Amino acid sequence: MHKLLSRASDAARASSPPGRDALVIEGLRKSFRTRGGTVEAVRGIDLRVAQGEIFGFLGPNGAGKTTTLRMLTTLLPPDGGRALVAGADIATRPQDVRRRIGYVGQQGGADRPATGRENLVLQGRLYGQSRGEAAARAAELIDLLELSEFADRPALTYSGGQRRRLEVALGIVHRPQVLFLDEPTTGLDPQNRANLWDRLRALRATGTTIFLTTHYLEEADALPDRLAIIDHGAIVSEGTPRELKQRLARETVLIKPRPASRPLEELRRDLAAQRFVDEARIEGEAIRLAVGDGTEALPAIVALLQSDGVPVETISLSAPSLDDVFLRQTGRSLRDAGKGELS
Amino acid sequence: MKLITDVWVLMVRKLRETLRQPVWVVMNLFFPLVLLALFAPLLHSLVGGPGFTRGSVLDVFVPGILVMLAYTSVSSAGWFLLTELDSGVIERLRVTPVSRFALLMGGILRDVLAMIVPALVLIAIALPFGFHPRWAGIAVLVALLALVTVATSAASNALALILRRVESLTAVTNGTLFPLLFLSGMLLPLALAPGWMRVVGHFNPLYYVVEASRDLAVGTVTSAAVGEAFLVMGGVTVVATSWATHVYRKAVA
Repeated sequence: MHKLLSRASDAARASSPPGRDALVIEGLRKSFRTRGGTVEAVRGIDLRVAQGEIFGFLGPNGAGKTTTLRMLTTLLPPDGGRALVAGADIATRPQDVRRRIGYVGQQGGADRPATGRENLVLQGRLYGQSRGEAAARAAELIDLLELSEFADRPALTYSGGQRRRLEVALGIVHRPQVLFLDEPTTGLDPQNRANLWDRLRALRATGTTIFLTTHYLEEADALPDRLAIIDHGAIVSEGTPRELKQRLARETVLIKPRPASRPLEELRRDLAAQRFVDEARIEGEAIRLAVGDGTEALPAIVALLQSDGVPVETISLSAPSLDDVFLRQTGRSLRDAGKGELS
Repeated sequence: MKLITDVWVLMVRKLRETLRQPVWVVMNLFFPLVLLALFAPLLHSLVGGPGFTRGSVLDVFVPGILVMLAYTSVSSAGWFLLTELDSGVIERLRVTPVSRFALLMGGILRDVLAMIVPALVLIAIALPFGFHPRWAGIAVLVALLALVTVATSAASNALALILRRVESLTAVTNGTLFPLLFLSGMLLPLALAPGWMRVVGHFNPLYYVVEASRDLAVGTVTSAAVGEAFLVMGGVTVVATSWATHVYRKAVA
């Protein structure tokens, strides 16, 4: 499997010649000294992101996503490694990097007592636009992100979704080549989240490269063209969401027999012995099977249960998910990586 | 030029922040006015005594109040820094190509302006009641007060970054206010104080400023007190701003 991984990333590298890469990251690392000792937040990350891509950075809280992003946006000097962002080295040409990137941080960064329009005009002025240019661009963005209803009200009166839109607008005032977003949809309801995804896709359509971090599986699956899964400061796998799932995850069948019909462990062993079952685990009252091809396996499983005379309460088949990918690579479920419940 | 534009737009941003909270501005002026109306009249019997050898009561009292204004107008500056760190504004500004110097200067210029305007208002109000300032002296005094404002603002920002909580910052600011005021001779000249208070007062930078402010108000620009005040405040400003810069780098980077 390891070989497969490295071959795949070689292929990805070959398909994007260096001059066209929006991001080239080599061996980037950062550690922090705390009272308890040194914490290696980022332990040598290698990545390439092509121009015009939406690239996702998926990982649990504390995996090193934000630290990486803060290094790439010149907010934090790296301890080692190198990174070219939009063609400029973050260590030697931070000013060029700043001119070419936009950044929407986790807290957002809207000046809350100021109005949306004031925020946008100031931002434009800081990127060297004249008063007229900044006002025109602000008006354009207010249109584009549908802020006009509240553009002249203080940002502290905005709803979460409205403020997020203003903050995205702030990030693109100067038409950056690369837009970085740190957990952009955290705290948004599903409708606002979908709305933001659409706007980011529209932005990519204009050629902007988008690099975002997320800990939402659904978001990592739906939005990025490619993604990297990061855990404990290192990248554990990289590819398109589809590739990752095909390569590293399998379909799962979840069987819940009627209580006390037959010892679960006995049934699990029976099922695990079947040719089409890769893995069988007991999960509470149920048995979870990893299978190669669900449409082939499911009828066979049902037949087996019937011939054994095991009454079933529920049985379900689900497509491979990024959570399975994460589970296979790290031994933990991403859903629980912050909670420590499963695995 | 880009740098000048940057400083300008950032100063305007901060000025808007001040003007959006007019209560803040009014309250800054309110306390000095209360002192002028309700405290200064108590001093009339002291004229001719220690500390009141020159000019009218207000010639002694108003300069001290101006020093207080320069101090209190920014002694809560760190509060704004904490809210801006929280909302991510500072991070957002740091990712733009704007120079770090402009980020700093925008705030400082606002602080100084937000001190000078109420100070001039206070002087204007005091004029008909018997304050007789010499304008050359006042000009030099404003420069000295600007140092007080810059140093206080820097120290408040540094404290905010260390304490990290608005409540703690407020406690420290309020707790230190009166010792600093009384030990500077702002309200009543330290010439009236017992020996030990005068000794302690010499460790308070504001004491030198208050002494100089009284010379400057009556037009004595070249006294030893004025030289001392600039020396002390210059030193304090350098220390406070380097401290703030150091803490800021550590906290934000």
